[in-house]
Amino acid sequence: MPKSPSKLADELAELPPSAIALSIRDDTYFDAIRGVVDRFATKKDLNTIYISAAIPSQSIIDVLKILEIDMERIYFVDSVSHTMMGSTKKPENVLLVESSTMLENIMLKVEYLLKKSEGKGSVILLDSINALAIHNSSTILSEFVHILINNLRAKNAYIVLFSIEGFGSEEINNMMGFVCDLTLDMSEEGR
Amino acid sequence: MPPDDEGAEVDDLERARCPTGIEGLDNILNGGIPRGNTILFTGSCGTGKTTLSLEFLVHGALAGENCLFVSVTEASEKLMRNVIPYDFFDENLIKKGKLVFVDMPVIYRRLGMTAMELTLEDVETLVKALGDLVDELSIKRLVIDSVTSVCYRLKTEEKIRNFILKVGKTLSDRGCTSLLISEISPSAERYSLYGVEEAIADGIVLMGNLERRGDLLRTLQVVKMRGTNHSRAKYVLDLTPAGILLVPLLKGGSGGGT
Repeated sequence: MPKSPSKLADELAELPPSAIALSIRDDTYFDAIRGVVDRFATKKDLNTIYISAAIPSQSIIDVLKILEIDMERIYFVDSVSHTMMGSTKKPENVLLVESSTMLENIMLKVEYLLKKSEGKGSVILLDSINALAIHNSSTILSEFVHILINNLRAKNAYIVLFSIEGFGSEEINNMMGFVCDLTLDMSEEGR
Repeated sequence: MPPDDEGAEVDDLERARCPTGIEGLDNILNGGIPRGNTILFTGSCGTGKTTLSLEFLVHGALAGENCLFVSVTEASEKLMRNVIPYDFFDENLIKKGKLVFVDMPVIYRRLGMTAMELTLEDVETLVKALGDLVDELSIKRLVIDSVTSVCYRLKTEEKIRNFILKVGKTLSDRGCTSLLISEISPSAERYSLYGVEEAIADGIVLMGNLERRGDLLRTLQVVKMRGTNHSRAKYVLDLTPAGILLVPLLKGGSGGGT
């Protein structure tokens, strides 16, 4: 049975600022997003920095609008849209990274948004480790996740890394287990 | 054994830093550029040298230091437009004279230096004029953008060496921390066009463009800095309205570049 967004938010809220690997499936994807960016962020009064590497930020924004989620405090670092060579228009709360191979630039955009948040607490959601693995070797991806998590730890931020069940290589799964403080599963209820 | 107060003075000198205000760079430099150092900021076009030097001056001016930007190639008015988008920029810094822009061609004209090639005597006059300007305005941070364009009018190694040595000493004697911007081609195997500037400067910061699998990343690397321990690793930078941000270059993907 899938975990509800509120249940996920409750579990996250019990933790101090940490790095959490969140195992999700297609049918729990939107509940996981809602749990992090709406329920959990609201509960803890956090800004959300959403790294969209799987689907364009506009698609996520459209879904959040349908779910009537307040987007006042949600910012996107989007590494997908630029490669699609689509419309040059982008909402104010979206920062584009040219490609998912520019991992340093993803870190820089997150750093910029944190700087702009002027000390307010933040949760950074990486959607997803599997999407980044399409474009990057496991060596550089591991290095990226390790540096990103440690930078964010130093800033007392929460980081949630989506991992799509059944799509991670053993190397990536091992790395996630090593660098994250905790692994949660959106499907674990009733198991 | 030196008396206690002398020891304290040496300690103070060792600790005296000029924070650039760029958080990542100050971390690399263990707190900032040692005060009075003359640093060569070198790189090819589009690597962020001018932007970085402007931010260095804006932070200095915000901290209450008088700062001077000597523009050799571009008109000051155009440069000023580049600092306005900064979130932390305050127009009063210019109005109150904390941040001053001077065009080098105006200095040349006032000193009557009309010939394309400057003489050794001209070098003396030019350095004295810069020193007088620093004294008059009580300048603590100075940028010359670019020193390569000044060297272009000096032509010989002797005159370039003379200019860099004298300008460095003049500014250092006045406690002024200076950035000399140097332009090199992307394929250059040295840090300055004439090879002289790099040998004389107290520090060298190399800015480059790293091409990796078709992506172009702006990079920064502190190659040398007298008076402080520092990281010599390569960092990736981004020019943002909140200032320059730096993160470590991921080594798993390093594939050459300048």
